[in-house]
Parts: sequence; C-alpha cells; structure tokens
Amino acid sequence: MVIKQYDMKRYFNILALFLFTAFAWMSCSKEDFPVDEDGLLITTRAECYVSDFQLLGSDFQTVLTAKKPVIDTTACTINAEVQYGSDLKNVYPQFSLVTDAKLDPKITGKVDFSDLANPRKYTVVSGNRQVRKTYTVYITIQQ
Amino acid sequence: MRSKYFQYTSWCLALFLLMASCKEEPYEVPVPKDALQNDCIKRSLGPNIVGSNIEFAYAMALPATKGKLVSAQVEASIAGAGTTYLEHRSYYTDGSGVDVGIEIGTPSINQGNTTTVNFSKDTNAVTLRYFYAIPEEARGKAVSFKFSAKSSNGESVNYSMGPYTIAKMDMALDIPVKDAENCFISIADMKAYNATDAAANAAKIDIVYLYRAMSTVAFNHSFVSPGTKTEYLPGVVLPPGVNNISKISRAWALRDNNLARDKYGIYIDDIDFQQLNIASAPDYAINLKEEAGAWIETADGKYRAYIYINKVNNGSKSAVISMKRYTMK
Repeated sequence: MVIKQYDMKRYFNILALFLFTAFAWMSCSKEDFPVDEDGLLITTRAECYVSDFQLLGSDFQTVLTAKKPVIDTTACTINAEVQYGSDLKNVYPQFSLVTDAKLDPKITGKVDFSDLANPRKYTVVSGNRQVRKTYTVYITIQQ
Repeated sequence: MRSKYFQYTSWCLALFLLMASCKEEPYEVPVPKDALQNDCIKRSLGPNIVGSNIEFAYAMALPATKGKLVSAQVEASIAGAGTTYLEHRSYYTDGSGVDVGIEIGTPSINQGNTTTVNFSKDTNAVTLRYFYAIPEEARGKAVSFKFSAKSSNGESVNYSMGPYTIAKMDMALDIPVKDAENCFISIADMKAYNATDAAANAAKIDIVYLYRAMSTVAFNHSFVSPGTKTEYLPGVVLPPGVNNISKISRAWALRDNNLARDKYGIYIDDIDFQQLNIASAPDYAINLKEEAGAWIETADGKYRAYIYINKVNNGSKSAVISMKRYTMK
C-alpha cells in the first residue's frame, strides 16, 4: 500500500501538535521553586541551628585556640576562646549552618568582636523561613 | 521521487567534502628577510625598584652574506646608574648545563644615557643582555629605552621599549634582629638598632622585636609598638624617649617575590601601599611565624611598610627580616 504524500503531512502535523501540548503541560511553573528576597530557595526544612563557628584574623588565619568552640543549640550560645593577643576589632566570623538555613545579619566583611561585655548576636533562619533562632557569641581571651 | 532527492544530496555532499578537505603542506624552513633585523624582550618581572636592575635581551641578526654586526647601543631616557652594562659576550649552554660566554665585543662603555658595545669578532647574529641599574633620579618616573644595532654594510635598526614606571618605594633585604640586642626597628632608616643607638634615635623607632617562649600563651616572635600596653612588652626595658605607636596588621601567605626571593610570583607595588587601609589595626602583632608578614604604618603617617620574616631562630631568639617601604608624605 502506497502512503500518499498528504497522509504523511497530516500525520506529522498531528504528531507535532501532540508533542507540543505534552511539553507545555509538563513545563516547570514558578510555584514549584519559591525564592526569598535574597534569591535563595525556600525549602521545607524546619531545622535551625549552627553546626560550627570559626573566627579568622586579618591574616585569614584562625584566632581561636586549640579548644573547639562550644555550641549549645538549645540555649543558642556559642562559647569560643581566642588566642592571647588576638585583635578582635578586625575578625572574620564564619558560621556553618544546617542545610538551607541562612544568617541574619549578613556577614559582608570584618566584624568587631572586641566588646566582650556586649556579645554579638546572629539569627539563624531555617530553610522554610519560618523558624528563627538568635545565637549569642561569647568570646573569652586565653590568659 | 524521494530516492532521487537522496541521490542528488549525497552527490553534492561528496563534492563539497572533496573541495573542503585539508591538504597537508610539507614543512619549509622560513626564508629570512634580506636585511638587518632586531628584536627585544624585557626579562625582569615585578616592580622596578631603585637599586635593582631592569633586564632586557636584545637580539640582532643579518644574513651572513650581507656582512657582520659592528656595534650595539642602548639609549635610556634617564641615564642608568654606574653598574649599567650591555653584555659583550654571547652565551651558549654546554653539556653540563653551564652557560659559557664567548667574547664577541669590547666591554660596554657608558656615555651619558647611552651604553655601547663594539664588536670585535665576526658575527652576524647575537643576543645581548642589557642590565639597566635603576638610578635614584628615576624614582617615580617613567623610563624608555631605544635599542639599536649597526652592521658592516651600513644598515642600522632600532627597537623601542617602555615606558616603564619606576617604583617610588624602597627596599631593604635581610636585616638581622635579635631579642634584647638589635631589636629596635626604624622604618625611616630601615635598620634595627640596639638600645644605645635607639636612645640616640628615639623618635625614629617604630617597632620593637621580641621573642618570648611562654608556657601559657603563644607569644614567640613578635613586632610590638614601643608605646603599646606593657603586657605586650614583657621584660623589655625601653630606652628613654622610645614610645611611638605604629599600626601593625598581620599578613600571611604574602611572600613577596622581591623580599622572600622564593618561588611565589606575588609582588607588592606602590599601589598596594597607596590603597592600604589599616587605620583600625592594633599596635602589636605577636606569635608571628617564618614567612609571615606585617603591614606597618608609622605613628606620624609618613611611612607605610611591609615587613616580611625570612627566617626565625627560636634558639638564638632572633630573626631575619626584609622590608619594602613607601613614603606617603
């Protein structure tokens, strides 16, 4: 049986139309990937904690002593001991957070941790942006 | 009908492929220009510091049938210091890897801005190194060079290089410092004084070097301003009048190539001192290690410096430092 030319044309047209509607229906919609004001993905995670803390000096080497900083995720405190003679006015803090969480206020450069009587506070915001926990960083200087 | 179209396209493709295919050309030795030619490259890297050299390699050649080289000359826009010279030897590397020089001309003569070498051996192609000793007069200015060569058949060529900016900063290498001896460092003089000389130059002492091996804290090798808190000067007796407070900002992994003379290709130039902002830096830096460094700003703001620690010796409580200094005002 000979397939006539106009039959093939019709066949290809119908196939193309079908594929087009299938792809259009399957495409991603904006609602699947909500994004917050910083352009970060909002996920379903509710965990909200700091897992590690690091403090670097102006030479980008750590100013913490060999004692690891103690992070209490219930009391929301971080206790870190810095080396004797550290310049706390020009340090770069680094927080390791749980997956999808972010920190508020953002750390954009050097931070002044020298006022030991008024410890700095940082708020961790969970992946779903619903949970906020404020951590206080207590610095002690090695004597 | 469809198969006919298929046939036509395949014939066309075959024809196009044949026309566009790569032809391999056999290698031919390039034919040199029938004239005297020259070329020049700058061999030294990094900032051009007064007291050091700018090094060039100047190549000149003409076909052997046309003649030989007669003279080579370099004219600098600012006359180089006395040790400026144009090499009068041609080098080759022998089997043991040693560079052997063969004299092809008389030693270079410096006359004003020009350095000349007159050829004494018949040669039609050579590369000569030129070492321009940067003079004090060139500090902060731009220097240009004009390389020229003459051949026996009357031809001459020249090659211009530059302009190159000469750095404003100074450098002092391998200053030994020792705890309780020559431990009073002056940025203005780029020297380390002992207690007696420090008393005579009290206003110029910017940093005290000390070494303390403590059991409770890591003090070790340190740079401390004389005017800082006494807790950072344990056991130090300051000569009278030595009390400047300098800003000291620690640095790490900044092994400047001129100071460290190591394999790292990083250079501190004038612009780094101009853009330096250590206004909030402390007046001390303790527990410094070998290969560490510190940015310094003197109390009167006149000098900014970078001190690099070349070597430390815990046993003898000493260190060797090198510094680059920039005069701000």
